[in-house]
Amino acid sequence: MKDVGAPALIGLRELTRKKRSRSQSQLFGPPLECTNRLKEIMTRHYYLARFATGAKPVAWVTSGAPVELLRSFGFYTIYPENHGALVGAKKQGAAMCSIAESAGYSPDLCSYARIDLAHTLSGKTPTGRLPKPDLLFASNNICQTITYWFKAISYHYNIPLILFDTPYNYTELAQTDINYMVEQLQQMIPILEQASERKFNNSKFAEIVGRARETSLTWGAILATMRNSPAPMTIFETFFHLAPIVSLRGLPVAHDYYQILLTELEERVRDGIGATSREVKRLMWDNIAIWYKVRDHSIQFAEQGMNFVTATYTNAWAETTQHLDINNPFESMAKTYSLVILNNNLDYRLKLMQRLIQEYQVDGLVIHSARSCKPYSVGQYDIKRKLYQELKIPAVIIDGDITDERAYSDEQTKTRLDAFFEILGN
Amino acid sequence: MADQNFKSEPNRIQYLNEQKAQGRYLLGVFPALYPREILWALNILPVEIWDPPGTAVLANKHLQPYICPIVRNGLELILRGETDIVDGFLFPHTCDSLQNLASIVNDHLELNKPVFSFYHPKMPYTAATQKFYRAQLEILINQLTSIFSPIDTDRLTECLRLSHEIGRQLNKIFKLQRTNQLSFSNSEYYPILRQGEFLWPEDYLKLLNEITAGETIPSKPDTAIVLSGILPNPVEILSLLDKLNVKVAADDLLNNQRRFYLPQSKFSNPLDALTEAYLKRPPCSTIGTPISERLNHLIKLAIGSKAKGVVFLIPKFCEPELFDLPQLKQGLQKAGISSLVIETELNCGLTGQLTTRLEAFIEMLGN
Repeated sequence: MKDVGAPALIGLRELTRKKRSRSQSQLFGPPLECTNRLKEIMTRHYYLARFATGAKPVAWVTSGAPVELLRSFGFYTIYPENHGALVGAKKQGAAMCSIAESAGYSPDLCSYARIDLAHTLSGKTPTGRLPKPDLLFASNNICQTITYWFKAISYHYNIPLILFDTPYNYTELAQTDINYMVEQLQQMIPILEQASERKFNNSKFAEIVGRARETSLTWGAILATMRNSPAPMTIFETFFHLAPIVSLRGLPVAHDYYQILLTELEERVRDGIGATSREVKRLMWDNIAIWYKVRDHSIQFAEQGMNFVTATYTNAWAETTQHLDINNPFESMAKTYSLVILNNNLDYRLKLMQRLIQEYQVDGLVIHSARSCKPYSVGQYDIKRKLYQELKIPAVIIDGDITDERAYSDEQTKTRLDAFFEILGN
Repeated sequence: MADQNFKSEPNRIQYLNEQKAQGRYLLGVFPALYPREILWALNILPVEIWDPPGTAVLANKHLQPYICPIVRNGLELILRGETDIVDGFLFPHTCDSLQNLASIVNDHLELNKPVFSFYHPKMPYTAATQKFYRAQLEILINQLTSIFSPIDTDRLTECLRLSHEIGRQLNKIFKLQRTNQLSFSNSEYYPILRQGEFLWPEDYLKLLNEITAGETIPSKPDTAIVLSGILPNPVEILSLLDKLNVKVAADDLLNNQRRFYLPQSKFSNPLDALTEAYLKRPPCSTIGTPISERLNHLIKLAIGSKAKGVVFLIPKFCEPELFDLPQLKQGLQKAGISSLVIETELNCGLTGQLTTRLEAFIEMLGN
């Protein structure tokens, strides 16, 4: 559920400037036309961010936080996880991480966090400039790491941290937990009123919640187009098209964009246009992308006639936001944000993956064991075994990291993937 | 303080078997924060699993190499069948890795033992925190009583009294140590204190009372330090501190003084008193205490104990502590207090490099 975001998209565009060779281009279908529109939207969002300080209250937000509440107070939101993804996609992760490490942060810590701390300490960023936050808004529904990380940022800037504490669902979501989360959301209102100098407007809030719901449903419909064979998009593309549902959720621009993308994908399905020229095997991706290897991976798998058609990661923003209800915004937000994949037990995750495998007719699974993300990674070995026992789905584990390229070995990955390709090919 | 009895740890397995023979239930409890008074009141002995000995082999089938040794060694203990004696497990919500370990044990190991979890709220607290924590206590009681004994409210009140008394005696021991009135070395008294991880409260309190009531033999003044981090492991570090004439004058370890805090409460209802204690507990990385609060606490501990430095003992890959450390070290430095971070695997002994680092740090404190 950790964020991909806009800067990552910009990063991808940077990377794709390296033109594919003729033989590589033949591996893929025609590029999506609306990608340029996405680039415009996200570039504008980050360009305006440079001027946000003083004009609007600025909040740094975690990817799983209930941003709808902030939007109703007019906050300009920045997602440090996005920033990490961008740095990773630009292959600057190790360099940025080492800045944080020289300040004493362990190389074993989450690399998104190290990049964000490096930016906080040095001001360095490939985006030009990020606005200084007035407050921090976090939820531990994606990890506990986020609370340690944002606590460090809060201390550095001497600004308040608002935490939406979402009890982990060891079994099922309990009413006590829902009540606790609802009370927290309601108690945030006076704090946000003070920080934004705006009064809470219930009808505006309900409107934003409704729009977020519609946007999420559209995102779900977009992902569902990939159930078709050939799939009209690869998961590597969805990693980037995910940006608006994360960074701009609740704003009209995100909803409008996804309507355009959905229309284009439906046309491709109707015309039988696939994202890859050959889709012999359909795969699922587990965990956050390896940002500095997205391009390499997309080519590597396409060469084998394999296309990723679903991911636990991209699905996270489609799976629960549909619970949002304008008639019961607080309780529905509590459910929406508590039920995300990383706030649930491993049995829940296993069943979710089994469902996705069936719905998307998946032949194989690629699991990224990410050093940065322990809640996503701990338990993957057991899930891999169970999926094979119960569904006979072959899987491969790639050791790496989301943005710190020092934790990735091309040789080791190649060896594992070659064996995986061989198994799937038989 | 010549009594050697409490210097030798009872045979743990024998003790646990005796407890079972007395009709007590045993619950294997993973770190760190949980209402042990409730377990005691239910006739359940919590047997804490922090740093079991041995090398992890079987656990590697379930865990990546970058997962902390507390999680890894704890799982190894279960997989080797060395926890067969316990009647179930309890996992407090401490960090991401322990959170998922609870799920691995509950969802994938098929142990035929109940697995309980305990979610405690994280900071910054809100007005909703108190009600939620109290509700979590009630949920835990309901879950435990559905399998083990019914709860006796009078016994729960008595267990709170015991817990308060244990905390008081532990504070007294550190005060005696601080004022050079205890003849124990670091490597002697930490193992004694850690018997609280598996002793029945009355037995543990008796042990602590024997220490504090005994004749005090003034020891020679040594260099004083604060020990912070997670737990005193590798234990050889304690012997090295002894050799260097360094005493631990104040403790901020997660498995020790950060946990044993149950103040006298204005509340007569034990659940209200436990809730109050949780909300007032000492700063801790695992509950998300703001850096400034934890820093002020450490400075206060160091000044109050006349400690010249702080040594952080951190198991590898411990995210909650590793995130706090750079700003804590910087803050301590500004306050004129030196600090040293020792990040190691568990039970790994002393390396030459580690010995040199610690010796150099202590030498620097002396200058």
